[in-house]
Amino acid sequence: MTSIGTGYDYAVSTYSPDGRVFQIEYASKAVDNSGTAIGIRAKDGVVFAVEKLAQSKLQVPGTNQRIQGVERHLGMATSGLLSDAKQLVTRARSDALNYRNSYSASIPVKTMAEQLGMFMHAYTIYSGARPYGCSVVLGGMDDEGPQLYMIDPSGSYWGYRGCASGKGKQVARTELEKLKFDELSARQAIKEATRIIYSAHDEAKDKEFELELVWISAETNGRFERVSKEMVAEAEAYTQALLNAEMDDDE
Amino acid sequence: MFRNQYDNDASTWSPQGRLHQVEYAMEAVKQGSAVVGLRSNTHAVLVALKRSPGKLASYQQKLYRVDDHIGVAISGLTSDARVLSNFMRSEAMRSKMLYDRPLPLFRLSSALVAKAQANIQEYGRRPYGVGLLYIGHDETGPHVYEFSPSANTFEYFAMAIGSRSQSARTYLERTFDAFSDAALDDLIKHGLRALRDTLQQDKQLDTLNCSVAYVGKDQAYTMVEGEDLRPFLDALDSDHSGNAAPSSSSQGPAPMETEA
Amino acid sequence: MASIKLKLPQAAQNAQEPITHSDGPIVTGTSVLGIKYKDGIMVAADCLASYGSLARFRDVNRLQAFGERTIIGASGDIGDFQYVQDELEKLMIKDFCLADGHELATPHVYSYLHRLLYSRRSEMKPLWNSYVVGGVHSSSSQRFLGYVDLLGTTYQSSTIATGFGAHLAQPLLRKAVEGREDTLTEEEAVKILDDCMRVLFYRDARSLNRIRRAKVTKDGMEVTDPYSLETEWAFAEHIVGYGA
Repeated sequence: MTSIGTGYDYAVSTYSPDGRVFQIEYASKAVDNSGTAIGIRAKDGVVFAVEKLAQSKLQVPGTNQRIQGVERHLGMATSGLLSDAKQLVTRARSDALNYRNSYSASIPVKTMAEQLGMFMHAYTIYSGARPYGCSVVLGGMDDEGPQLYMIDPSGSYWGYRGCASGKGKQVARTELEKLKFDELSARQAIKEATRIIYSAHDEAKDKEFELELVWISAETNGRFERVSKEMVAEAEAYTQALLNAEMDDDE
Repeated sequence: MFRNQYDNDASTWSPQGRLHQVEYAMEAVKQGSAVVGLRSNTHAVLVALKRSPGKLASYQQKLYRVDDHIGVAISGLTSDARVLSNFMRSEAMRSKMLYDRPLPLFRLSSALVAKAQANIQEYGRRPYGVGLLYIGHDETGPHVYEFSPSANTFEYFAMAIGSRSQSARTYLERTFDAFSDAALDDLIKHGLRALRDTLQQDKQLDTLNCSVAYVGKDQAYTMVEGEDLRPFLDALDSDHSGNAAPSSSSQGPAPMETEA
Repeated sequence: MASIKLKLPQAAQNAQEPITHSDGPIVTGTSVLGIKYKDGIMVAADCLASYGSLARFRDVNRLQAFGERTIIGASGDIGDFQYVQDELEKLMIKDFCLADGHELATPHVYSYLHRLLYSRRSEMKPLWNSYVVGGVHSSSSQRFLGYVDLLGTTYQSSTIATGFGAHLAQPLLRKAVEGREDTLTEEEAVKILDDCMRVLFYRDARSLNRIRRAKVTKDGMEVTDPYSLETEWAFAEHIVGYGA
């Protein structure tokens, strides 16, 4: 059944006769239109990577980050509407501080996913609201070790070993599924994440992009840290070498 | 104009995952006269084109001081801009009060985004119909930011918004590589040249229709208007014959009630 | 500290007056000393938290580092200090998340603390502390040493002493430090603080000879483990009526 023109797709509080909530599906379209975001849960940490599509060459590189810290040990990567994402980051940070007020401890990643999921879900049940136009890849290190979750615009969330959202999510998922997560170190995951973002990037449709990389691992003392320039360069060299090898194979 | 069923409010997604009301609000920015912002390694500059609704009227103010280290240029609905510039001022004051520190530009941006985002998520509200270019200098150097009705802020080396601003952006994209080491005077000249490119054929920049402001390291936000602009405009004329046709500088009212 | 008053016994209060459980400190720390010296800032405090006149907790840390180059020493109510520590920790986390290259330098933390204490005193819910805030700026290497108390009173000086120290140690500190801020060596600074803490231990009945000391320089911060000051009590045996 098609959605457009039926009148069942104007408000998030309306079901279609076959039981769908089209406004949530439309919000997900906003996610599918944006640059790819992925998360990897490795043995000793989590890695986030985002394909940040260039808007203009006048823009200052390194600004408008799509991976943001929520607490010292916890961060999130987003795809979809940037302003919606920023709002969610703000919400996540205040949730984390509230948890700290109550328990004098940093919030576990699972609790954060639960709370943020509930918050996003609240925007899918009232006609006065619209669902968030973004997906959140949430990850961090807590007492349980490295943790990774993804929340979609409907507010539902699952735990992952590797997850992807945005334009290149199909390609990225296929690549992620090939990884051996039980053997993967966070350091190695940075290289794989870089390779996956490059392979998910559609050169025909989108010209330039900026690679954004963050890790939270034993090597960063469990802290949210942007991957150093040297390590990014190393990961890009690794990616380039693989691409060159593939090209040689094709010939 | 065409209509579709999904463009009545900012709390309805279109089937393509777009928010039409937000996109329409971005159009309001283009109704305002052009403003240009650019920066070097030491300074940031704003240049704006002012409109007057008629010969008996004064020119519409385009630049507002936010604090000693921040200034903002507006394009679009002036009343919305006033709300936002007041908000920016109070944020700057709050930073001074609470932390005894000039407000970092990045934090001002975050505050603006948070404020504007509420308008594009809840039923019964509309997005701000104004674009802002704001400049400032903080511990991390000079900055040029754009705020747009979509509740986004972007940091640029140089940017232009408002009516016919594409021509200015073309100029900036062609020349911005040279800005980083430019002296303040040259930076202002680049800004004026970019602004001049947005003018209609029979118009030119003069001391009445033009505003300049700059800020930098150990240089508080300063505005240059009226006769004080003469040296800059003269320098501009000497390096380029330009569209020299003399004319009354009034550009007439905009098609929508925007800045009058 | 001068402004700490233990509340009157309940019986002494007029029955008509409201019951006041929270207008004074309960578990308290005594003096904190801070000085400027050649390389930066040095502060010291003992490890005691008293419950009235009872030496209740004897391994308490009253020196708290914030970030790389700011140290805060607290006297007064320990519970209120722990609350302030939580507030400042949240502030640091917010700053960590923003990660925009603007670090909270010592004067900013000082200003925040001032506003916090002043607003609480204006709400008639004062946080019953006096603080010494010290630090060195990461790029300019400028030294900062300031005082702020439960009333929101602030001042900056090259020597600061809170509590009993304001009476007993401050004159000694001024004599030793003023005019020599740029020449005092680390060894001299340590000696000045140790000597003053020793005087305080002799005279202040709410003090301990187990102390911590911290220094902040442009290279960062060091907080010592608790250590004991040498004291001399042999004279007591010759004084009739001293002790038992």
